[in-house]
Amino acid sequence: MSEQWFERDPLWFKRAVFYEIHIRGFYDGNADGSGDFRGLIEKLDYLQWLGVDCVWLLPMYPSPLRDGGYDISDFFAIHPDYGTVEDFREFVDQAHQRGIRVIADLVMNHTSSDHPWFQESRSDPNGPKGDWYVWSDTDEAYKDARIIFLDSEASNWTFDPVRGQYYWHRFFHHQPDLNYENPEVQEAMLDVLRFWLDLGIDGFRLDAVPYLYEQEGTNCENLPRTHEYIKRARAEVDARYPDRVLLAEANQWPADVVQYFGNGDGDECHMAFHFPVMPRMFMSVRREDATPIYEILDSTPPIPGNCQWGLFLRNHDELTLEMVTDDERDYMYAEYAKDPRMKINLGIRRRLAPLLDNGRDEIELLHAILFSLPGSPVLYYGDEIMMGDNVYLGDRDGVRTPMQWTGDRNAGFSRADWAQLYLQPLMDPVYGFQAVNVEAQLRTPTSFLRWLHLFIALRKEHPVFGLGSYEPLRPENPRIFAHIRRFEEDIVLCVHNLANSAQAVELDLRAFNGMVPEEMLGRTRFPAIGELPYLLTLAPRGFFWFRLRQGDE
Amino acid sequence: MSYDERALIEYVTQQRWYGAKSRGVAYAQLLDSAMLRTQEPRLELALVEVRYETGSHDVYQLLVSSREDEPGLCGLAEDPSLARELVSAMRSGLAVQSADGVVEFGHLEGFAGLERELGAARVVATEQSNTSIAFDEVILKLFRRLEAGINPELELLRFLTERSFPNVAALGGWYAYAGGPLSTTLGILQECVPNARDGWELALDELAADPDGFLPRLRRLGEVTGELHTTLGSEPNDPVFAPEVPSEESLGLLTATVDEEIANVFLSLPDDDERIEPIAGRGEEVREQLRLLTHAGTSGKIIRIHGDYHLGQTLWSDGHWTIIDFEGEPARSLAERRRKRSPLRDVAGMLRSFAYASIAAGPLRGADVPDDWESRAREQFLDAYLATVDQSLLPSGPAGIERMLTVFELEKAVYELRYELDNRPDWVGIPVAAIRRLIEPAPAAS
Repeated sequence: MSEQWFERDPLWFKRAVFYEIHIRGFYDGNADGSGDFRGLIEKLDYLQWLGVDCVWLLPMYPSPLRDGGYDISDFFAIHPDYGTVEDFREFVDQAHQRGIRVIADLVMNHTSSDHPWFQESRSDPNGPKGDWYVWSDTDEAYKDARIIFLDSEASNWTFDPVRGQYYWHRFFHHQPDLNYENPEVQEAMLDVLRFWLDLGIDGFRLDAVPYLYEQEGTNCENLPRTHEYIKRARAEVDARYPDRVLLAEANQWPADVVQYFGNGDGDECHMAFHFPVMPRMFMSVRREDATPIYEILDSTPPIPGNCQWGLFLRNHDELTLEMVTDDERDYMYAEYAKDPRMKINLGIRRRLAPLLDNGRDEIELLHAILFSLPGSPVLYYGDEIMMGDNVYLGDRDGVRTPMQWTGDRNAGFSRADWAQLYLQPLMDPVYGFQAVNVEAQLRTPTSFLRWLHLFIALRKEHPVFGLGSYEPLRPENPRIFAHIRRFEEDIVLCVHNLANSAQAVELDLRAFNGMVPEEMLGRTRFPAIGELPYLLTLAPRGFFWFRLRQGDE
Repeated sequence: MSYDERALIEYVTQQRWYGAKSRGVAYAQLLDSAMLRTQEPRLELALVEVRYETGSHDVYQLLVSSREDEPGLCGLAEDPSLARELVSAMRSGLAVQSADGVVEFGHLEGFAGLERELGAARVVATEQSNTSIAFDEVILKLFRRLEAGINPELELLRFLTERSFPNVAALGGWYAYAGGPLSTTLGILQECVPNARDGWELALDELAADPDGFLPRLRRLGEVTGELHTTLGSEPNDPVFAPEVPSEESLGLLTATVDEEIANVFLSLPDDDERIEPIAGRGEEVREQLRLLTHAGTSGKIIRIHGDYHLGQTLWSDGHWTIIDFEGEPARSLAERRRKRSPLRDVAGMLRSFAYASIAAGPLRGADVPDDWESRAREQFLDAYLATVDQSLLPSGPAGIERMLTVFELEKAVYELRYELDNRPDWVGIPVAAIRRLIEPAPAAS
């Protein structure tokens, strides 16, 4: 029997810091040039030190890897490059022993065209799997559904010469959509959930969740029956597996995304990514204006108390610009993708540090804003050491290069030959592994890694950041993003200067008359709050977090 | 049994083992309970969650007895004989269902202490996180503040007892809870060490009486410590205990951790305390020394270690050392306490303890401790330790060993400084002297 290393805590995800890992790129435990679960186990001490509560693994299943593993060819196994199901189980147990939970990507919408289910479906239309995919004699149906991978796909239908029919796919043509009208498909995918939950996994990031069902005359996204099926999956999880989490990837506007929490009941996904807030953080920094952040938060509907937003700056995909207006997108391209190679689909394929010109102040400021918002932050591997990217690599590989552990051979990522590595680590003078690596930053007290470590610890000390209310202050100075977080007796004031110049701001804090702000990083006490506007001055891109304490404490 | 929330809060927060005295309690609730004895006086095990105003919480184990005619909560402090019931449950391997889980009792085969009649029960120690009750030949330790997972004390004692390691008090039994709220070790039963003297008290007495005569016993303690580590590192096939080569960044992680602790403690040093004066404002020098020490080198292997090793964790009895209390540092999380570490971390803890004894024996015992006693005690202990312990666990070469020891001693001294500032300001000089020694070259021998 495996030990249980956690207290019952159904809302753990609301206070958690997530860390996204590309297994192939993290650490190579068997010297074959590709990261794996044995390697991941060796790096758990690092993750424990960093303060990560939950690891999110990119797809780990067998796959022809035509879409970074989101093209799954077997739901019940581990990709041989990464190890075995037994290695996975060992990884989960080792992580749990260190107080770290594990969730993994799962694609429910489609499979790889290599999946035996699809092979059977195309070759035997009347067989048991004949109806497991969405087949049609024409490519005429569902014309109102947009094409997501604009750069590579011309239609959501592709003709299959074997079966002589068209099949439906919302993503690449080698990723046929499963037919959720078929009860066997519904049941088969619940089996997939149970298989991994039984192995101890703490939940799933449900990839491409809005597209499960199709219906004529709609855009085939967020359909009621899609929600019904997710509710069913949630009920299945709740009944047998306590303290697990379903995290929806629904790149939609907040009003649509909140549907994935269930209609006010919190009976669908526990978490969903808040996509639109992300580009607005970058926009605010470049425009030196807090308005875009205030506005998107104002237009974010409330969510059920047992749910949480997932917030991020960057991830393994492009910096997606689907959830902005055309003007905003033009602005983002102009500011953040000056080289056309940096664009892909509707987004920008760069890592955090290069996006911000390696600006330490900007990177700290964006983390401060991210960590101060209502939601759970999701960090992307490598961003904690300000790793760079390689825009000359195809697709999104440029942001998936090996983790830079040391300044030694292969960046300390692998003992394989350099030429054998799945991708070569960065070598350029600014972001290359000899300049940017974990070992050096651990030893340098002023490094970003050391700063982030303290900052994560600070956030975790105060449940208010995960559980508290959000109350925008909106001072007259538009360059300041200031707000109050409040949970039970804990009140925190967060003030961020988006400008590249020093700023003064007057805050209306009369509601807290008599309280004393204590700066949270250095524990310095500031003058008590009175009836008059509270004046603060902030350095360029500077920020303050204060705990508001009773005057006599 | 039903509990009144206010009475429960009042009861829990007044216990000596209640650890969060400075924090405001928002509420307390019963998570689960199991009736261990149904006849009068009844005995009930209760798991109580105490929620603090800041949103954090602790889970405590309560053992309460009730009589029909006597309302109110009666616990072990009031009636230690209640604990007999736990020992007999271990003997019989009882499992008691609770509303949301099960309380399971077990024992190690061949444990002599369970075959005899129990003597009279008495509470021998109540610490921040546990209560110990002695019955002549066995001693029962209840973990009060509970964390999910197996307690390192059970893990390590079972491992050492199964290998017949002679310098621990053998494990006899345990009890644990597995259920909805959490799964956790509740307590252990060990053999009692007869005529035992606390190693720390003994050291103080001997420093007053015969400091030189005590050195051979510290030499012996060095051997025992070496044997302890050799045994703990002897099981390559058990993943919980197998020695590991630390990952490449482990030295960096250690450096970062210690460095942050130094920065943190220097950030909040009082301005006007003359005992601090030798190191006040010199945090950067200390950090610089740390960087030099950890610049390069190997750190040997990592194994499960004692984790909170000092003279107070030893007993001396009839010419024999016994090592006790394998819980690890109480302020650290269970995950942290179960981590494999370099065995030199334990060694450093013991060496720091010699420094404490040599300074404290003056005021506490009126002893006139020879100036070089601490260095000779270190030498005796270390010589014996290094000659005994499995060499493959250590960094290669005396310089590497010396460097790692210095780092761990610095880590300890910084931890001590924080602890003494908060709890025993009169003792602050001891860690201050250790830190000063690091940043100032030793005075020339006279």
